[in-house]
Formats: sequence, structure tokens, C-alpha cells
Amino acid sequence: MVYQVKKDSGFAIIHLVGDIDLSCSPEARKAILDSLGAGQPTLVDLSGVTYIDSSGVANLVEGYQTAKKKSLEFGLLGVSEAAFSVLELARLDKVFPIHGSLKERLAKNG
Amino acid sequence: MQGIANREGSIAGLLAEVTQEFATSLNVEDTLQDAIDQIIDYLQAEAASIFLLDEADRSLICRKCAGPVDITGLRLALGQGIVGATVDSNQLQLVRDVSQHTQFAASIDRDTGFSTRSILCVPLAVRGQCIGALELINKRGGDGLFGASDVHLATAVAAAAALAIHNARMTQVLVEQERMRKELELARAIQISLLPPTDSTLPIHGLNLPARQVSGDFYDYVMLADGRIYFCIADVAGKGINAALLMAKTTSLLRCLAKTIRDPAALLAQVNVEVFETASLGMFVTIIAGFVAADRRSIQFANAGHHAPLQRLADGRYRELTATAPPLGVVAELSATTQSLALADGSIYLFTDGLTEARDGSGRALGLAGLKAVLESVNAVPSPTRLSAAVSVLEAQHRHFHDDITLVLVNGDER
Repeated sequence: MVYQVKKDSGFAIIHLVGDIDLSCSPEARKAILDSLGAGQPTLVDLSGVTYIDSSGVANLVEGYQTAKKKSLEFGLLGVSEAAFSVLELARLDKVFPIHGSLKERLAKNG
Repeated sequence: MQGIANREGSIAGLLAEVTQEFATSLNVEDTLQDAIDQIIDYLQAEAASIFLLDEADRSLICRKCAGPVDITGLRLALGQGIVGATVDSNQLQLVRDVSQHTQFAASIDRDTGFSTRSILCVPLAVRGQCIGALELINKRGGDGLFGASDVHLATAVAAAAALAIHNARMTQVLVEQERMRKELELARAIQISLLPPTDSTLPIHGLNLPARQVSGDFYDYVMLADGRIYFCIADVAGKGINAALLMAKTTSLLRCLAKTIRDPAALLAQVNVEVFETASLGMFVTIIAGFVAADRRSIQFANAGHHAPLQRLADGRYRELTATAPPLGVVAELSATTQSLALADGSIYLFTDGLTEARDGSGRALGLAGLKAVLESVNAVPSPTRLSAAVSVLEAQHRHFHDDITLVLVNGDER
């Protein structure tokens, strides 16, 4: 897995790419929690995710719950098919706010 | 001559003493400080410091120092200053006049008020890999310059220090691995203690094959006073003690509440409240819980984020009933749906994702289609041994199990 964090339109966008499994999910977790810890509304871009296991899903759940506690926005962007099938199986697609892209998310403001 | 011989004798003594201390000390931090205190004394240096490389951000951090200014914790970029150049190149640096040296980081002197004139800096290297540097500053007396004998001594001490630091780190890794191993062993013991005893009078059979590392699955079943059979299968996200404790809590709550709450969806909603309020953030439980009716003709169950159970129909097709709610512990209020299946239609298999994720030699996961094929191949095997027969098929396919394998069969053939 590799990840990249960038700021755009008031959001921290964490772009995760590759397989998110037990070996790298602590890194992804840190990136997500650091961003929320800094008080930033955070979107996790999963468009480049090729595989995600339950430890990776746990990171997203932790991000979602942490953001709720801090009253910060948290959502997912461009969820890849591989990631979506895992979220859908666990019915988490109904829990996380999911946007096709940042543009789509910003359009919801208006 | 006598003076030099004495000094050389005492240098040999220092070396022997320092290397012996490094070899026997259990506290490398204290030993490094002792060594650095002794070395500035023997080499007549005004100050000395040990910088170690932080692999995370490739910077150098001062871990120990001796002299008039305390720079412990000072961080330098790799390549910055003489220390940075030493580590970057893994080469000794002997600088007789820092003012003439382009790589000298003068800002540190400005910040500390210390006046650096000459530097001897030797890499701390283990098997050719540089892990830091020992830096000596300003030779006292004489011409104020470090000489060949200083270089020899500092190099020897640096070699011993590097080895000691390396060994201490290795020990730390081993201690951590041992701690993890013990924790997983304990988690596994908790997990086993929660699995129900085999009961041949019940139409339910379960199997759990633990993975080497992960321990998050459980299943349970018990006959209730009114003749119904409560059952569940679950997978706790996470591993180790936390996962095992959450598993213990969830299974106990379910067993207890199943005696009074008859509706599976209501049962899961109630347990979710407790899991949501008390579990650490990010921990969740995918679960199917339900009841076999007292007449053993049907089951009722609710599915929170777990793999859909498979029901084998008479014509060999498999019916799937997907989850209707997210896992326990994610949202404050869980709204699951109770679903029903007639056992006359066929046996029902519940499983965790360790099974569908089991990979063959080329890394291909078994998947749902593969699982159905395996179940189909053992369909004629009597129900008490059918699950272990399925595992034997997987083993014959040389599948590698990364995660626990858990399977529960609610038998539709015996009523």
C-alpha cells in the first residue's frame, strides 16, 4: 500500500492505493487519525484500493467514529469495486458517506 | 616514552572496560552514557555526543551527550552537519578547523552558545550499515587537534557501541515478539474456552480452525429451556487480547439475552448497544445469531454485517441471504431484520471470511463459488463429519489459511 495526503477545498484527502491488509493498515490508521486529530474534515479516497481486509475496514470504522465524536466530516471517495464489495457485504456502504469524487461531494454543498 | 606507554596502556584498559560493559550490560542507555563520559575523559575532548538514525523519517537524533551543553533530543536531517555527513557516507570525518568546513552546521553553535573548533566523528556501523555516529568535539590541550590514536580509540569504541545498540534493538524485537506470542496464546485459550462442546443430539455442528496469528472468530449454540436452539457465528475485527475479550463479552451477552429475547433482530440490537458503548473505536463484530425452532423445521436469524449464510437446496443450488445491518459496534442504533428459512429446503452453512479468503498456491482466493463447490463435494458425508471433510478438501487443494476458518452447519436432513 502507498498513501498520499493532500488538502483540497477545506478537506484533507487521504488517497490509499494498493492492498490494505494487516501489514499496512496501521499506517493507514495513523494517516486517518492524524488528519482527524488535527481537526480536519477528512475524505479517504479508495479509488486505487485493490484489496481491503477487516483490519483495513476497522480503520475506516475508527475514522468514522472518531470524526463523529469530534463533529468532523468523514467520508469515502471513489470507492473501487474491490473495496465496495467488502463494504457492501458488511452493509457498511449504508454507514459511510460515500461520494463518487471530491467534485461530487462539493456539489452537495450547493 | 613512559607517558605514552601509560596512556596506551590505559587506552587498552578503557577499550576492554567499555567493550566488556557493552557485552554484559542489560541497559544499553546507561552503558552508552558511561562510555561517552569515559571517552571524553580519556581523549581529552570538551564534548561528545551519540546520534542515532531514526529510520522512520531518516533524521538523526542526539541520544546521549557529555560536555557543557546538553543537546540530547537535538534532531538533524540526514546529511546535515558533520554528523549527518558521517552517517550519510558511513565514513569517518576528522575536521581540524570547522570554520573552513562547508558542511559544519554553525547554527547549532549559535543556538547553544558553544564554540566548536575541531571535530572527530566516527560512524556507528553494524555489518556495513550505519545506524548513527559518535562525535567528539574540541581536543583539550596541545594543538587542540584530534590525532591518529584518538581516531583508533574512537573507532574501536564506536564499533562496540554500535554492536551493543544493535543487540539491544534485536533483544527488544524478540521481547516484543514473545509478548505478542503470549498474548495470542492467551487470546486463543479464551477463544477455545468459549466454543461449545460437541453435542450429537443437536442438529448443529461447528468447526473452528485457528490461524497462526489471527484469533477473532467464534461460534456458539445451546439448547434453551423451551426446546429452541440458540446459535451464532461471529468474527471480531482485530486480533489478540482485545479481540478475544470483545468476543468473550459478546458471546456471554448473547447467551444470556437469548434466554429472554426471542426475536434475533431485537437480540442483536440489544447487544449492539453494549458493544457500541464499550468497545474501543474501530472494533466491530460481524455476526449471525438466531434460533432453530423447537420442532426443528425452521430457523430464524438476523445478520449484522456477516457473510450471507448458504442454504443448499434440493437441486444443488445454493440460496444466499445477505446481511441487513452493519456489524455490531459501528452505529449507535442497529436496525437488523429477522429472516426465516425452512430446514426442509436444505441444510444451512454459516462461515467466516477466513474460508472464502483461503488462497491456493497461485494466490487465488477460494471465493463463494469455490466454497459452494467444496460444500457440494462433501454433501453426501454425514453431517457430524461433513465440516471436517470440507476442510480436508481445502487442505488437499493446498490452500493457505491467513485467517481463522469457522464453519457452522445447521442440518436440514435430521428432524
